[in-house]
Amino acid sequence: MATREEAKINGARTETLITISNNTTAGIRGSPDDFGRATAKLAVAQLCEATGFHSVKDSALESFADIVIRYLIDFGKTAEFHANLAGRSQCNVFDITRAWEDLEAPRGFSNGMREIMNYAESMPETPFAQPIPNFPVIRERRNIPSFVQMGETPPSKHIPPWLPALPDPHTYIHTPVWDERVSDPREDKIEQARQRRKAERSLLSLQKRLLLCNNNRNPNRNGSTGTTTTIPSNSAIGDVNEDADVNMNVSPVVLPAKLSVIDGDRVSVLEAFAPAIEMLGNGGLCDEGFEGEKMVLPAVTERPTVHFKFRTGKKFIRESLDDRNRKKALHAILLVGREDERDDKKRRAEYILRQSMENPQELTLL
Amino acid sequence: MNQNQPQSSSSEGRTDDDSALSDFLASLIDYTPTIPDELVEHYLAKSGFQCPDVRLWDQIGSCCHSEICCRNCRRCSPVNCRHSKARQASIPKDKRDRQQKDKRLVLTMEDLSKALREYGVNLRHQEYFADSPSTGMDPATRDE
Repeated sequence: MATREEAKINGARTETLITISNNTTAGIRGSPDDFGRATAKLAVAQLCEATGFHSVKDSALESFADIVIRYLIDFGKTAEFHANLAGRSQCNVFDITRAWEDLEAPRGFSNGMREIMNYAESMPETPFAQPIPNFPVIRERRNIPSFVQMGETPPSKHIPPWLPALPDPHTYIHTPVWDERVSDPREDKIEQARQRRKAERSLLSLQKRLLLCNNNRNPNRNGSTGTTTTIPSNSAIGDVNEDADVNMNVSPVVLPAKLSVIDGDRVSVLEAFAPAIEMLGNGGLCDEGFEGEKMVLPAVTERPTVHFKFRTGKKFIRESLDDRNRKKALHAILLVGREDERDDKKRRAEYILRQSMENPQELTLL
Repeated sequence: MNQNQPQSSSSEGRTDDDSALSDFLASLIDYTPTIPDELVEHYLAKSGFQCPDVRLWDQIGSCCHSEICCRNCRRCSPVNCRHSKARQASIPKDKRDRQQKDKRLVLTMEDLSKALREYGVNLRHQEYFADSPSTGMDPATRDE
């Protein structure tokens, strides 16, 4: 026992040195025993105050607290040693007494219990300053549920079901995500209608260009025939016609009365220009009417000057007398080649053409 | 020793020991040590001390330990007083200043180490901190 005590003391000596150096260097990093050490420091400071000290040096306080902790641990170890020596795992009062005698033997106290009793009666009670929670605080660990708890079966036979379940595949498999486009039938219809209108607009512009070209050509060929018919609502070119200079030379423009619709959406240019073709057929210009962009225009000198009047922001509500006359004529023509099933479409087309002729700048509003 | 006597001796010895033990335990119940029970329990558990009756042993442990600490403190304070008096004697010039200063008892490492040496605990601390190993040495030796 003596040798053991000597070893302990030697160990204590070296250990105290090491711990002191550790205390000075590892000031920032926190160890798990920090709370215990802080509490011990507090208790030691209280003891010093009770004894009569006004203040304690920091290093002295730390080393004193360290000694307190060491003493406790050594005391517990000694008591446990004695219990184990007697063949027990749990200590009792006699083990503690023995441990006390072991630790106090160098000082030669015979009756330890009496000493403690005397001390307990003599010293005034100074309880610890602050309430301390039960430490170390044990954190509740949430275990990963097992296969059985999750209700899954392990993927292969060698894995027993009581083991923790494997992680979900979404935690380790990355699949690319695309934005799902929800197909809205209403949106689709709206989109379709918009595209249809676009097509019609482009067609109208095309026809306008063709008609202009035809208009340029018509006075050259059909100048005096006067059998041409016009759409009465064509006030833009009607204005042109009303113009004094142009009236003589430019004959009313032939515009397709109806836009025959084939396949629901597409407008057949052939049928649309049928009346024009008929008119021009006499003049032998059937081929050139269709080329669209590739039209061979007659020579510049042959074409008369055309003055266009563009009216901005105004729509003609009133129709001129000429227009009315033209309307009557148009109606006659319309009755010729019309099919009764396509009335709505025709009316719509007429309206569109009327609007486009009146205000070319308002075409975008369509 | 204490354990052998109750087994071999007569009932008188046993009763004596028992009475002493019971007295001791009774006296400890009222005493509230400065060192908290939780601290003692924690470190005893760390060292492997297992006991079913926790409260009693905590009291015992804390009592024992507080006695040690108080004893150390008591030793420290007279030692401190002695040392301070010794310092006073060495420099008689600043007696008044020293007296005023020494009215405040400060527990320093020196006093603590001296008091602990009596208990067998050798506490050594650094007297000063140096930046490099050659600090404070003679220039001649430093060159070497």
